[in-house]
Amino acid sequence: MEKQKIAELRKILTSRLNRPMRYYNDTCTRCGLCYDTCHAYQGIPEKIYSPVGRAEVVRKLYKKYTRLSGYLFPYWGDSTSFNDPVMDEAYKAVWSCTGCRRCVMNCPFGIDTALMMSVGKHLLIQNGTAPEELVMLADAAVEKGKSIEEFKEGYRQVIRDLEKEVQKRLGLAEPDGLIPMEKKNAEILYVGLAGAHTIVNPAIIFNAARENWTLSFFEGVNFGFFAGDPEKADFIAKRIINEATALNVKEIVIVECGTAFRIMRFLMGKLPFKVSSIVEVIHRYLAAGRIKLKDKSVAEPVTYHDPCQIGRNGGIYDEPRDIIHAVAADYREMSPTREQNWCCGGGGGLVALDNEEFRIKSGKPKKEQIVKTGAKIVVTACENCVMQLKTIANGYGLDVEIKYLTEFVCENLIR
Amino acid sequence: MGWSDVYYFIMVPMVYAAFAIFMAGIVFKLIVVFFSKKSKGTFSTFPKILPRPLGVLKDAFLVPVAWKRDKILWFFIIAYHAAFVLLFIGHLELIKEFALLQIIPHQVFLGAGIVGIVLIISVLYFLFRRFKSPWRGISVPEDYLILLLIFMTMIVGSHLNLAARYNAAGFDIPVEDYRTYLSSLFAFNPTIPAGITGSPHYVLVALHIFFANLVLMVIPFSKIIHMVFTFLSLNIQRK
Ligand code: SF4
Ligand code: SF4
Repeated sequence: MEKQKIAELRKILTSRLNRPMRYYNDTCTRCGLCYDTCHAYQGIPEKIYSPVGRAEVVRKLYKKYTRLSGYLFPYWGDSTSFNDPVMDEAYKAVWSCTGCRRCVMNCPFGIDTALMMSVGKHLLIQNGTAPEELVMLADAAVEKGKSIEEFKEGYRQVIRDLEKEVQKRLGLAEPDGLIPMEKKNAEILYVGLAGAHTIVNPAIIFNAARENWTLSFFEGVNFGFFAGDPEKADFIAKRIINEATALNVKEIVIVECGTAFRIMRFLMGKLPFKVSSIVEVIHRYLAAGRIKLKDKSVAEPVTYHDPCQIGRNGGIYDEPRDIIHAVAADYREMSPTREQNWCCGGGGGLVALDNEEFRIKSGKPKKEQIVKTGAKIVVTACENCVMQLKTIANGYGLDVEIKYLTEFVCENLIR
Repeated sequence: MGWSDVYYFIMVPMVYAAFAIFMAGIVFKLIVVFFSKKSKGTFSTFPKILPRPLGVLKDAFLVPVAWKRDKILWFFIIAYHAAFVLLFIGHLELIKEFALLQIIPHQVFLGAGIVGIVLIISVLYFLFRRFKSPWRGISVPEDYLILLLIFMTMIVGSHLNLAARYNAAGFDIPVEDYRTYLSSLFAFNPTIPAGITGSPHYVLVALHIFFANLVLMVIPFSKIIHMVFTFLSLNIQRK
């Protein structure tokens, strides 16, 4: 590897050495308690897919470049310099980690392997070996943020078509105003995704609840975060924050996308408005009687998959269960559940990559969980999870239907 | 330079150097952490059942993760760390008499030799556990070497304790001699009493202190720093 490149990689490495990273680098005792707590390791039992195995790839680089002992006695802690095989190893470690943070719950020190992997992603971008598709999607999102005025008219057209769909499904006379845009002082700025279902279903719910809301021009998904580029991740999230500030809304409501929700609620510092997941909002409407659902109308067994960023990393466990309980006559809990629920294997941008075979294998514990419940409908509240659960269902030939929570609610909404 | 100079070096200048490196190392580590960037967001996991300080202390001292995942490891983690606290108290009493520590009257060194044996068995467990897959695969030389160093320190220390307690073959070094030596170090007026230098066990005392010096110097710069960082790291998880 060229000296120049090594210098650039070192710069990234040291720039990412913040307080948590210092703790995580120094504290791991390699006790191995986290070893088999990663779904990827469960599917493919190789060291590189274990949390500690992955973390060591980044840690040994830190040891080499930020510790005297790593420099003087590399064998003491197995420290290593930047070279092509190490970067290949990093690719394998990083791009098989969904950032689900299940391992954090199973480490006596709470070491956040996902954070360490985000440093690995950053290094791979600098190395020029990051997955191109994610880098391109992140660039496109940044570009949209820079020249939003050019995108607006085209987007309004798309939304007009979606309003007709909402009108049809709500049985209303007029489509106008069913998906408001650029509405100042609205209670809610709803942030969707590119797929029509991420706008139509929530729009039905907002209208049913007579909410004063407006739709964002931006998608909630943060490809900058997935790619591992902190600057782009920040820019992409700030597009929405700026929009919300300009419109003077009281609350940002995030689509069924776990990462978008976690970034906005937990990783952007203090914001002048509330950040909620659409799941919490539906729960709120239900509790306040603003929407009504057909009581126990679904007879088939239903289970719920906790998206990692909404459950374990977001603290939203009871709300989706309450909503499903209202509709499902036969609700079945997965085991293990809640904070110990297995990740589906699609998060962290993995579902956007050409890696289906790997994702089917790493989805093995999820498949086993679903099969054990005997459920025929799996409900979840994350775009990535739905896509990955469908891949798992197809890959293992499961006889289950995968549904978004908003879809499940809309199907059982009393109009 | 004879052996007595080597022993003197280990038991006086090296002890000062080890303590200085230990304390400066910990302070250095904390300063570095203090001046590092904080993260903008929060890294919590949910649910957070107990309030932060209480939750952190529970996770740090009761190690519920190990209890859930590997009960044998949990047993040895708790045994090792609890015995380590007793070991620390035992050494305090080798410096001078603390009335407070004698609330439960006991012979110095406390534990009748059990403390050292528990530590040795635990260290051996930690060591042998690493010989087995998958822990073998994730271990680096540091993991073995530190355990080996601790084992060496403890096996010699334990031997000295047992010999003194059970007065084996006249190898006893009385507590008063240790107190003279250790308190003189604290008073920066080091003397090694004849009871120690004249004992057939002098070489073992020097060896014990040599290994202990190495352990002290290694603590801030190795994974043993988890004795400080555990609390900081767990705190982030609950912020
Ligand atoms: S459980 Fe934590 S300390 Fe133990 S090996 Fe895994 S990351 Fe390291
Ligand atoms: S964050 Fe999730 S995917 Fe990544 S190592 Fe931990 S358990 Fe595995």
